Amino acid sequence: MTSVATNLRVIQALGMRSIRQTFRRPQLMAPILVFPTLLLAVQTGGAGGAVHLHGFPPVQGFLQFMLAGAMMQSLMLAGNSGGIAFAVDIEMGFTDRLFAAPVARYTIVLGRLAGVAALGFLSTLWFLAIGLIFGAEIHSGVAGALIAILLVTATATAVGGIGAAIALRTGSASVVQGLFPLVLVVLFLSSAFFPVDLMIQPAKAIAEYNPFSFIVEGVRTPIIADVDLTDLLEALLAIAGIVVLGLVLSARALRHRLRVG
Amino acid sequence: MEATAALPQWRANLATIAALVARARNELLRVPGAAIPGVLAPTIFFLGINGVFGALTQLKGFDTGTYESFVVPVSMLQGAGFTGAAAGVNLARDIEQGWVDRLLVSPAPRWVLLAGTVLAASARALIPATFVLTIALLLGASWPGVGGLLLAYLMVAAMAAVAACWGSALALRFKSQSAAPLMQAGMMAAIFTTAAYAPLALLQPWMRTVAEANPVTRVVDAARQGFLGAVTWAETWPAILVLAGLIALLVAWSLREMRRTAA
Amino acid sequence: MTAIAVEGLERAFGEVLAVRGVDLEVDAGEIYGFLGPNGAGKTTTVRMLTTLLLPTGGRATVAGHDVVAEARAVRASIGVALQDAALDPLMTGRELIRLQATLQGLPGAEGRRRADDLLERVGLTEAADRRVGGYSGGMKRRLDLAAALVHEPRVLFLDEPTTGLDPVSRKTIWEEVRSLNDEGTTVFLTTQYLEEADQLADNVGIIDRGRIVAEGTPDSLKAEIGNPHIQLQLADESIDAAERICAELGRLLPPTDGRTILVEVENGAADIPRVVRALDEAGIGIESLELVRPSLDDVFVATTGHHLEGESAKPPATAETVEA
Repeated sequence: MTSVATNLRVIQALGMRSIRQTFRRPQLMAPILVFPTLLLAVQTGGAGGAVHLHGFPPVQGFLQFMLAGAMMQSLMLAGNSGGIAFAVDIEMGFTDRLFAAPVARYTIVLGRLAGVAALGFLSTLWFLAIGLIFGAEIHSGVAGALIAILLVTATATAVGGIGAAIALRTGSASVVQGLFPLVLVVLFLSSAFFPVDLMIQPAKAIAEYNPFSFIVEGVRTPIIADVDLTDLLEALLAIAGIVVLGLVLSARALRHRLRVG
Repeated sequence: MEATAALPQWRANLATIAALVARARNELLRVPGAAIPGVLAPTIFFLGINGVFGALTQLKGFDTGTYESFVVPVSMLQGAGFTGAAAGVNLARDIEQGWVDRLLVSPAPRWVLLAGTVLAASARALIPATFVLTIALLLGASWPGVGGLLLAYLMVAAMAAVAACWGSALALRFKSQSAAPLMQAGMMAAIFTTAAYAPLALLQPWMRTVAEANPVTRVVDAARQGFLGAVTWAETWPAILVLAGLIALLVAWSLREMRRTAA
Repeated sequence: MTAIAVEGLERAFGEVLAVRGVDLEVDAGEIYGFLGPNGAGKTTTVRMLTTLLLPTGGRATVAGHDVVAEARAVRASIGVALQDAALDPLMTGRELIRLQATLQGLPGAEGRRRADDLLERVGLTEAADRRVGGYSGGMKRRLDLAAALVHEPRVLFLDEPTTGLDPVSRKTIWEEVRSLNDEGTTVFLTTQYLEEADQLADNVGIIDRGRIVAEGTPDSLKAEIGNPHIQLQLADESIDAAERICAELGRLLPPTDGRTILVEVENGAADIPRVVRALDEAGIGIESLELVRPSLDDVFVATTGHHLEGESAKPPATAETVEA
């Protein structure tokens, strides 16, 4: 049985590899930032009049409202991208090398998630910067920014866990890539782009219970208003739920992968 | 030992275009589920935008009928953009795998090789357009009438040709599928920086400026006519002009890039 | 009549000169073997001759047409099977050849007839209506060759046609190339396999680092290098005595190790009995004996100072080993 120190070293080494892989391929990173930024721009410019709708939360502007949604889209693409990278490792046989090594299995998955976490961190900084450059203020200041960074990075890691589980289960990069439309579905059926109360049924009903809506609100509230501990707690619970789901799915998928080879 | 009885050039060109379109059709017919991504993305966007932003019709000045009717032409054009860009990605894959060399080493004129890709994309774009339209009609979008429908399909086919030329030029320029995000993002930007979410007057000032300058806005307006009211020549001819101009420009660029593959 | 004429052909990629002034001539009806290691400039040269790449210097004509000024005429006269068999996995073999016929401007009925004939010729009739994605490597190469022939080209370019194939498939391709040549097709064949050039080519051009370093028939090139040599592995340690004896029978070559003697002889296999008898009379035991003829790799080593990649690890193609 390897020691905790050894496992941490393995996680660090695999994590560094995952991060290096991520940032050495700009053409893979670009969609994670470019598409959400593009969507942010067109939705802000196209639907910005929505702030005048009766019932729209008080905001400085639509951009300020939308920043959380853009971060959410970016982190989900990052999670999907991490799953694809893991599946490529499986297809290439690299994971066999890891499985044959005397390391705890969970270190292999956690190391992979480090790259996703790094992307989540980066995308938060990116959108906070975009917001500030184009005039959106972070209402809660530094605390709001830190909360956004924490929640987005944690969610990216959690979503990455689900991506890793799918990669382990299917062993196919194209299958993981094909799940990209699901990302869009989850986002549209949440409060990422619009206040839930103003959405049209049945999207509204689904968004009310979508765990990602709670995470979006947790990120959004300190940007458009004061920090709200209830929103923060709900976001953390939602993230915890996704983490648990990711862990369960990953563990089962790992057992399946080791069984079938 | 030359081949006997070659066809007249114009017939050979037509036969080559038809053969290349038939090859492009293979992916749809022989790869299970190949049509799904092209249909899924615009449909998800349509349903998503409709469900999320539908309340915009409550804004003062948004007096153009249901949101479904307003948005469905945009989604149909988005499907066209996606399909055309996907044709560019396929061309990039063909370049990477050496298939394009087989075409380039034949005596077929270069424009004929491009025409096969573009026409196949134009035809294929009608599939997601029809799917999205059907969903929209079921959700309450106005029936555009035969004229409006034909015009919308014409706009879709032509926009797919624009997107295919864009994608092809990028594929020939970069010779790699890694240019795919640029192909998709370019089309997304072209279509969504128009009066996509709301009428021109209700856009944010900066977006209104961009949309007024964006020639694709004329295409969206033309495609939208039947869904929001009557089809008029005054709203139609600017779109035809824009599409013809874009196709001419992008074809010229694509052919230039095709010639440059030997440079 | 000249099928291919190349004069000072050059191709630069930025600062790198991949082809540095190639001159060659291929007569009509000839098989020309273009031999060289990976990265020598073979494929770059072929791509220029098939109009896929513009030269940055020099000129070339194929089937009487300039590759730059009359590119379309060149394409109408040539058949090309490139290094990576460019096939669509979703098409059937028959569909692919028919498409090629269409690209070459053949009428539909003619194209269909030619497709059927060629599929039969390359032994793919049974697999013709199966998707190419399911073909073996050898089948793909045969299909690629058939597609290159659909318009009965005057000049056929084959870029490493048997790389990666098993010996049986390779032999099939060789037979087909010979048969085509017998019918009058000029064949320009690039290869990194010495045996392939030796077996097939009327003339061989050896390219290294972008330049032709030797050219001629395989036999004339090998004759320039020298005579065959006998490689003797001794049964005991009497190397000095054995060397003295062999030196009187032929020319000693630098030894490779302490128990092997290399002696160049004039008459080839006819000199073996003399050598064996002389050593036997001196009481020197021979463990094994090989007659090693000069190979194109020896030509390559002599002209470039290094082996063709991978060839140095292989046993000589024409060595005859005799166990004592």
